[in-house]
Amino acid sequence: MHRHLLLLVLVLVRTASAAIDRTKKPEAEPAPAASFPDYKSVTLPNGLRVFVIEDDRKPTVTFRLLIKGGAIYDGEKTGLSSFVASLLNRGTTTRDAATFAKESDYIGMHLEGAAGADSISVGAGGLTKYTDKILDLFADAVLHPIFPEEQFAKEQRKALSALEAEKQEPARLADKLAGKIVFGEHPYGSYRTPETVKSLKRDDLVQYHQTWFAPNNATLAIVGDVQADAIIPVVEKALAAWQQRDVPMIKMKAPPELAGRNVHLVDRPGSVQSNIMFCQPGPPRNNPDSAELNVVNATLGGGFSGRLFQNLREKHGWTYGAYSAFGMNRYGGSFTASAETRNAVTAPAINETLKEVQRLRDEPVPEEELALQRQYNVGNYLLSLESSTRIAQRVQDIDLYGLPADYYKTYARRMSSVTPAQAQELAKKYLSTENFAIVVVGEAKEIKPELEKIGKVFVYDQELKPR
Amino acid sequence: MNPAKLALALATFALTPVFAKEEAAPPRAVLKPIKFIEYDLPNGLHVILHENHAAPVISTYVLYHVGSKNERPDRTGFAHFFEHLMFEGSDNIPRGKIDKYVSGAGGNLNASTSFDQTDYFFNLPANQLQLGLWIESERMMHARIDEAGVETQRQVVKEEKRRGVDNQPYGTLFEELAKLVFKGTPYEWVPIGSFQYIDDAKIEEFRDFWKTYYLPNNATLAVAGDIDVEKTKALIGEYFGPIPKGPEIQRPKIDWQVSAPATKKDVLKENTPLPATLHAWRAPIETDPDSYPLELLGNILSTGRSSRLHKRLVEKEQVAMEVEAFPYLLEQAGVLGVYVIGQQGVSLDQLDTLITEEVEKVKAEGVTAEEFQKALNQKEAEFASSFGTMNARAKNLARYHVFYGDANLINTELDRYLAVQREDLQRVAKKYFASENTSVLHYPVPTAANPAVKPDEK
Repeated sequence: MHRHLLLLVLVLVRTASAAIDRTKKPEAEPAPAASFPDYKSVTLPNGLRVFVIEDDRKPTVTFRLLIKGGAIYDGEKTGLSSFVASLLNRGTTTRDAATFAKESDYIGMHLEGAAGADSISVGAGGLTKYTDKILDLFADAVLHPIFPEEQFAKEQRKALSALEAEKQEPARLADKLAGKIVFGEHPYGSYRTPETVKSLKRDDLVQYHQTWFAPNNATLAIVGDVQADAIIPVVEKALAAWQQRDVPMIKMKAPPELAGRNVHLVDRPGSVQSNIMFCQPGPPRNNPDSAELNVVNATLGGGFSGRLFQNLREKHGWTYGAYSAFGMNRYGGSFTASAETRNAVTAPAINETLKEVQRLRDEPVPEEELALQRQYNVGNYLLSLESSTRIAQRVQDIDLYGLPADYYKTYARRMSSVTPAQAQELAKKYLSTENFAIVVVGEAKEIKPELEKIGKVFVYDQELKPR
Repeated sequence: MNPAKLALALATFALTPVFAKEEAAPPRAVLKPIKFIEYDLPNGLHVILHENHAAPVISTYVLYHVGSKNERPDRTGFAHFFEHLMFEGSDNIPRGKIDKYVSGAGGNLNASTSFDQTDYFFNLPANQLQLGLWIESERMMHARIDEAGVETQRQVVKEEKRRGVDNQPYGTLFEELAKLVFKGTPYEWVPIGSFQYIDDAKIEEFRDFWKTYYLPNNATLAVAGDIDVEKTKALIGEYFGPIPKGPEIQRPKIDWQVSAPATKKDVLKENTPLPATLHAWRAPIETDPDSYPLELLGNILSTGRSSRLHKRLVEKEQVAMEVEAFPYLLEQAGVLGVYVIGQQGVSLDQLDTLITEEVEKVKAEGVTAEEFQKALNQKEAEFASSFGTMNARAKNLARYHVFYGDANLINTELDRYLAVQREDLQRVAKKYFASENTSVLHYPVPTAANPAVKPDEK
């Protein structure tokens, strides 16, 4: 044993002092394992599942509550969940909005709610020396918000101005229209309009909160310089008033199919660039291939070595960036490939994007290129494990999306085993070059004639109303 | 420095605890000390190493002390354009391979250019340290600067500018602000530069730029993460040691006076959806002791829902979408700004009046004890939650070294905030918010009576 150890030391010393050969890429030692860390998990008597990720690198603590809800339960009241999320800290049974702001700002903590497609997250964090106070304010926002009429009215007014601003934000316009095209009337495709904002009532917020903010409909992740055994009883006490209750079972429809190849053009006069977006429906988050699809997507448009970036930027100089992504939700998803290009090359950039999607389906990815993309995904997954908040998010995702419990334990292995044949099969299964839409935001008078050669062009104004 | 002396210096560094001494009052969180060693190679390259085994990852970070303020007025955008060319390759790295090597090693990379610096980083699994050092040393020693790739990057850089500046609401704000406040200095143009000069730049000029500024004696290399310090030192010596030292860098001389005449400009853009106004004053350079009370004053004016401008403009009057009071301090210049995006239908006059009232109020009355303590607490929380990743550690160690001459500020800068007195905030408010020096930028919403011009591409 000793002898082996000595040998190892000698080898290491030799490596360190060996003269380097700078004409060649250095050979690396074997990669460290990307192993998902262990964490503590308990279910409180009220049904709340709690995960603790201990991390003593910084003297801070973060609480992140994830409520199953979000846009999918907005029903007819589009945007309801995001009003609920942003008003949680704007008045509770014991603190008005100004008092809440004063107390939380005073200790330098952050607290914010955000609504997504499938969930509402409430995050709060700050210095560990204020843990009790942070938890007190956090619990107050989650359990006792009263959504004061006057604060709600302010938020409504701001939302209307925000919609005015969005008319000039090209990326936002493209996202909104692509969602509508891919998801149709499904809640994943809905977005606020002045009409939906004005039609909301304060009582809707109260109702939403009463319905969905149940401990048995949520998970809580605690990250930071804490000990699980010490923090869990404290949290349990802070949330003691939170009672388990039944939440409705809502059966969600799957998003609709998309047929044909059409171009949807938002006319934004004065644009000196076109935001282009290839889009089509994609699989839900719990599809059986999601780990492997990372590698397929990376090959097309995951980073600087992706084909879209290499083609549209490095070969042609048409864009600053070109990327693709699967956006996966609980009940369905989307696939998008996007870039911003100067007006004159809008159509050629779309055609090259289509060619790259087609090529991924038609030809197996060369092994050398696929090896790069496998390693890119596995390595960057390893790098992401540096962030404890990212780990916590993943743990909560397992619960939210109903992923296998060992999903992240097998994640790196699955990504590193994708073969060229498998990548092609997945591209054929999940990407279509028959049924898709192209969304473009730009100067219609300059780009529309060329777009008509790609497909039928539907034109919209900046409120996304058909013209 | 001879090897024996170097070893002695290193040993001293390694033995000296680098964390800050505890202050008695006010009570504060114990920041986790970030330990590091630093030394110079004989060619002048400054090296900072931080060993941390929390995760099997490393970050390499190279900061070249050159930015857009080193450019000629007829070559704006040059330093940034050059940054793009540094991804082309080297004598030993074939064209277009840098990202492929890094991605293929499981890492990621990027770079950025600002007024004062250009930086390059890799985040890599810990087994790939040598790859990172090899590529960075190749760029410093053997950058490939030839016609191939230059024309493409010219177009790419223009798309970058269209995307970030010309095609975005308020995208020209930063450019207009610099023109207004930094007039007469090489800070009056922004790093992205202008299309004309991007077109004019010649290959010979790029080579000269590289020879002038991409020198070991103008660079700092920081490596943070799961490394063995001794082994890393040896590798750095091998990869970077042979790079020849260059001549001393000639830096622009700027006679920075905070007092400057007030100017006003209306920026008429077709894509302005909501009215916006920016009030700006000249501010001290980043190393001025006044920077600390100014930062705290900025917090009191606009950080959090309980801040003064937020309470007044967003909550009470309901005329603003967002407000921000910010010192933006640079190596040889600085600006203090108050920026407000108004709600629809609100007049710029109304926004201006409210900003002026709040600014005059803080000058006349100073800040309350409670506000002051809040700002200190916010700074403390900000420092405690910064520097979590190895990338952030490498980056800030290098930044503190280059611009403050003290890498250990990563551990101690918070003390400088905590040493500020409440009265200092009123003093700096009076000193820098001088009403006769207020410059104002307006982004009015275009109307039929007041139409905008199409975004120009000058």
